[in-house]
Amino acid sequence: MKFFSIFKLTIPVLMGYIPLGMAFGLLLSKLMIPWYYAFFMSTFIFAGSGQFLALTLFASQATILEIGIATFLLNLRHTFYGLSMVSTFQKFSWRKNYLIFGLTDETFALLKTSEIGEKDREKVYLIITALNQSYWITGSVIGALLGNILPFNYKGIEFSLTALFVVLSIDLYKKSKLHKPFLIAVVIGLVGMLGFPSDKMLILSLSLAATVLILFRGNLENAK
Amino acid sequence: MQSSYLIAGIIIAAIATYLTRVIPFVFFAKREPSPLIRYIEWNMPLMIMVILVFYALKDVKWNEYPFGIAEIIGVLIAIFIHVKFNNALLSIIISTITYMFLIQKVFI
Repeated sequence: MKFFSIFKLTIPVLMGYIPLGMAFGLLLSKLMIPWYYAFFMSTFIFAGSGQFLALTLFASQATILEIGIATFLLNLRHTFYGLSMVSTFQKFSWRKNYLIFGLTDETFALLKTSEIGEKDREKVYLIITALNQSYWITGSVIGALLGNILPFNYKGIEFSLTALFVVLSIDLYKKSKLHKPFLIAVVIGLVGMLGFPSDKMLILSLSLAATVLILFRGNLENAK
Repeated sequence: MQSSYLIAGIIIAAIATYLTRVIPFVFFAKREPSPLIRYIEWNMPLMIMVILVFYALKDVKWNEYPFGIAEIIGVLIAIFIHVKFNNALLSIIISTITYMFLIQKVFI
């Protein structure tokens, strides 16, 4: 697969990560934290909401233990992504450690929906993950350095990530053999969006979805 | 803010985040995946993706003006273009531009 076609796959993430990263960098600079911490955080943590949470905790002088526990709970949803990648990554070399490290919501989404021949897969996955992280780092450093002085009104551009999830849902729906899980996820997502506390919405909804999927496996697999 | 505090905080956040991502690989690394794991691998991603759509919309204020109209229009455009033309990038760009226009110029 040519580099350019891999790059094209990642453009939606580019459009989402640059402004979102900038928002993160901007918040960091408002807390009077030096800009290079934006670089370190995006390099070593690489988790959108996790990094925003870390800033909030820094600002309130939370203890190190609190930071650890809160970040772990917030990002627990990533466990589900890994679960869907186990057998794909199993065949890869040690480089898969970087893929595991870089398994954000958006990277997971791209990897799971891109159709890549087995021969190329590891290389393409690595490039996608690295490109995504480079966008995130770039955005956060730009935001930390000059978020305050940029004239462009990019308000609302983060909708590209919503649109990305919509598009990838459609792709996965077309590929899936069972259609009931889709309907169940719509109901759970709707209930979660309207009813669950905002900061726990994702982990609660995903846990509920996994529970329903496993408990009703017999019904779901038979009702094709 | 003290730099030692920031550095320690970043290290612990990095470790906590990595743990959430690596746990399944530690538990299922050596074994041949069971039929249950395969079943989850097949069906969970679609459910995750659909839930992520709602997650991305969770902070919309549905009960006050403009009642999430911009978000609904954006999502409908994204669905329509992708179903009609099967072109992810086109769908994302047009729906995002429409959304930005709506929230910056129409529903102020």
